[in-house]
Amino acid sequence: MYIKDLYAISPQKTHDLSFEQGDWQVLNQYAYTAIEPSYQDLIPNAQLRRMGKAVRMGIGVSLPLLARNPKPDGIIFGTANGGLEDCIKFLNQIVEYNEGTLTPTNFVQSTPNALAGQVALLSENQGYNMTHVNGSLAFESALLDAALYFDEHSPTEKSILLGAVEEISDYNYNIDYLGNRFKEELVPNNDLLNSRTNGSYCGEGSTQFILSNNPENSLARFSALKQSSTLSEEEITDFVQSFLAEQNLSPAGIDCLLLGKNGDVSTDLWYDKVQNSFPGTPVAFFKKAVGEYRTVSAFASYLAVRLLNRQAGYLIENGATENPRTILIYNHFDAVRHSLILIQK
Amino acid sequence: MTTNREELITEFKEHLIKYLNLLDLTPSDIKNDEVLFGGELGLDSIDSVELIVLLDREYGIRIKNPTEGRQILVDVNTITDYIIANRTK
Amino acid sequence: MGEIVVTGMGAITSIGLTIAENLRSLQQENSGIKKAKHFKSRYAESLFFGEIDQNDEALLSELGLEQGQGYTRTTLIAIKAFREAIAHAQLSPEEIASGRTAFISSSTVGGMCYTDDLYNDANLRGVPSEYIKSYEGSDHALRIVRLHNMKGITDVINTACSSSANAIALGARLLETGKADRVIAGGSDCLAKFTVNGFNSLRILSEEPCKPFDTNREGLSLGEAAAYIVLERREDVKDLRKIQAIFAGFGICNDAFHPSATSNDARGPRMAMELALKRAALKPSDIGYINAHGTGTPNNDITESYAFSKLFDKVPPFSSTKSYVGHTLAAAGAIEAIYSILTIRNQEIYPSLRVQEPIADFPFKPVLHYTPETEIKHVLSNSFGFGGNCTSLIFSACI
Repeated sequence: MYIKDLYAISPQKTHDLSFEQGDWQVLNQYAYTAIEPSYQDLIPNAQLRRMGKAVRMGIGVSLPLLARNPKPDGIIFGTANGGLEDCIKFLNQIVEYNEGTLTPTNFVQSTPNALAGQVALLSENQGYNMTHVNGSLAFESALLDAALYFDEHSPTEKSILLGAVEEISDYNYNIDYLGNRFKEELVPNNDLLNSRTNGSYCGEGSTQFILSNNPENSLARFSALKQSSTLSEEEITDFVQSFLAEQNLSPAGIDCLLLGKNGDVSTDLWYDKVQNSFPGTPVAFFKKAVGEYRTVSAFASYLAVRLLNRQAGYLIENGATENPRTILIYNHFDAVRHSLILIQK
Repeated sequence: MTTNREELITEFKEHLIKYLNLLDLTPSDIKNDEVLFGGELGLDSIDSVELIVLLDREYGIRIKNPTEGRQILVDVNTITDYIIANRTK
Repeated sequence: MGEIVVTGMGAITSIGLTIAENLRSLQQENSGIKKAKHFKSRYAESLFFGEIDQNDEALLSELGLEQGQGYTRTTLIAIKAFREAIAHAQLSPEEIASGRTAFISSSTVGGMCYTDDLYNDANLRGVPSEYIKSYEGSDHALRIVRLHNMKGITDVINTACSSSANAIALGARLLETGKADRVIAGGSDCLAKFTVNGFNSLRILSEEPCKPFDTNREGLSLGEAAAYIVLERREDVKDLRKIQAIFAGFGICNDAFHPSATSNDARGPRMAMELALKRAALKPSDIGYINAHGTGTPNNDITESYAFSKLFDKVPPFSSTKSYVGHTLAAAGAIEAIYSILTIRNQEIYPSLRVQEPIADFPFKPVLHYTPETEIKHVLSNSFGFGGNCTSLIFSACI
């Protein structure tokens, strides 16, 4: 699967591409909220007025991509929670009005497939349309779906809009806070990995790609993918090694490692174990840029594509890599759901 | 409770803008005889249900379904007349 | 499509806690849409629901699960149907745990089914509930994966009311492309204030038990269900008696018309059926029965009928089994896939219940009574959802 184009709205300045040029946002806050562009010229008011943040950010990324790459054959999204703000707003109405007369907009907008549906609607796309909600593996599931789609239609040339979205709302912040996923104290994102406490900081954003099975003019390709929800800490090194072996790669074949380390002292060990298998390999920690959220591996993939095209190189921490060709992403959520994504030039 | 018709119209338009989240509109942008559905405002069936909720919460008026609502929810004038005749709060 | 076959089924609905019980109710025209006994809501008294007649405590104890561990009703019914399906397909624990076994589930309400607990947790009221880590849409699937130590591909889909139809299609694609050797696919959704009030706010719930394809239909009845099927490649099945039906094809597209209504020309539904026929290499006239989406809303039933009229020269027998179990949202596609397979296996049609006056706009009407001894080779099963998602599946008799 070749990546033809990509765009993201994130807590960094990806919306105007200055993040790629070295304009780094120092974040010293509990919620790493996305920097959103003005949508006025992009989304008709008749639609914008109803959109919650997840749908808005998602459309805000889709429409510029579709303007450059019109009419893909399919639209595939991954999101763990979709429009959670609308979801809980509706829930609050249920309780506060005792199941009385309620407004439907929040309900309609809260369904996770609202984004893929709206993109189809606004771009008049009747093609394949799918929404994966596989928790913190939702983006990986969307990737797998896209891979199947290209497999099935080979050798016919096809293109897919593939993306992920997650939003911060007070409510999901509260729920994950009660689930002990966030830090009590505040440290700037630059020092996130040295905090030595439990939890991380909450991030959000939408990252999307135009994929094709035609390699011409591509920026990079998704080469392989692996997921697990049953690993023990002892098994993680083997999990990575066997993935490399399946791809006929050795650790030395990885030019750069992107790790999902998030500053949570209770689960960062898994990343250290993986990093130890790659002595001397340059590494970047993408959650320092955008925080922790369930489809953050989409942003990691975005960063990988930038690095493979000699952008955002300032994020590589230990030793520059001149011209990376092969990047491996390892991410986990709660040390329960693990994924490996291989992206190559 | 607003009793003056003009004041009621402005108040209703403010509710309309709030409930339907009509971005960048002020009460004076909506003409009293402008058709709400199928016109320039671009309102649709979901908005008609939102309007029914508005009438219930703000004026204590119960409309059972959007079909019944269609005769009432024509423009600001017809709705204002209906509010004056049927409000319970 | 290469031969993908169904080798196991499991279902829990308001008309039965097992496949056998479901079949008996279908044949006896027993509707499960009644006043709710267990579901707590302001509407429990005034509306009718397809409620599973087993409370959470009974389910927990029957399944041998510990209390207080955050198992939601969505998860409990999912586990129940999952277990029946894997037992039916005679999968060993090793086969289920294998990296070559995929699990594709679906849910719309997911872990958010206990509205009041979620309200308190989301608004930081009181002590955190036992469900604080159960709210994700994928929670039920993750728990099943961890209970069975499943190492293969897992996924959860939410395309609203077409979710589990898409889960089944994705499962078949994994088999076709060799990414898995067996797949368990389906979905689960339980009754929740969230969905009941959501559909009520859209004014599409019926005050009487729903009557799909009736002129005077006034909306849908919500139900709850979980259903899973086991899919394998035919060449991998050693005991051919396990084969329930062939999964012949699917069509997936988007109506791209409105967030919560079908287009007047039914372009999405029509395209989904056409794509499914193409993929199964069948002609419209090959279809012996359609298990319609048939929600009972004015919009769906008229547009779906219109799509039938455009696609088929002679519309085959059709019915909506939602008249038995209500609209079970994410589970609907898998439930109706199972009812379609039962139709094929038993060569009989389960009717649309409560139709007094079929929609007059068309020269065809749904099957109104249980009809045994029919000859049906290919069945089309439709599932359409909010967001414009349209999916059609085709199952065929195994010869």
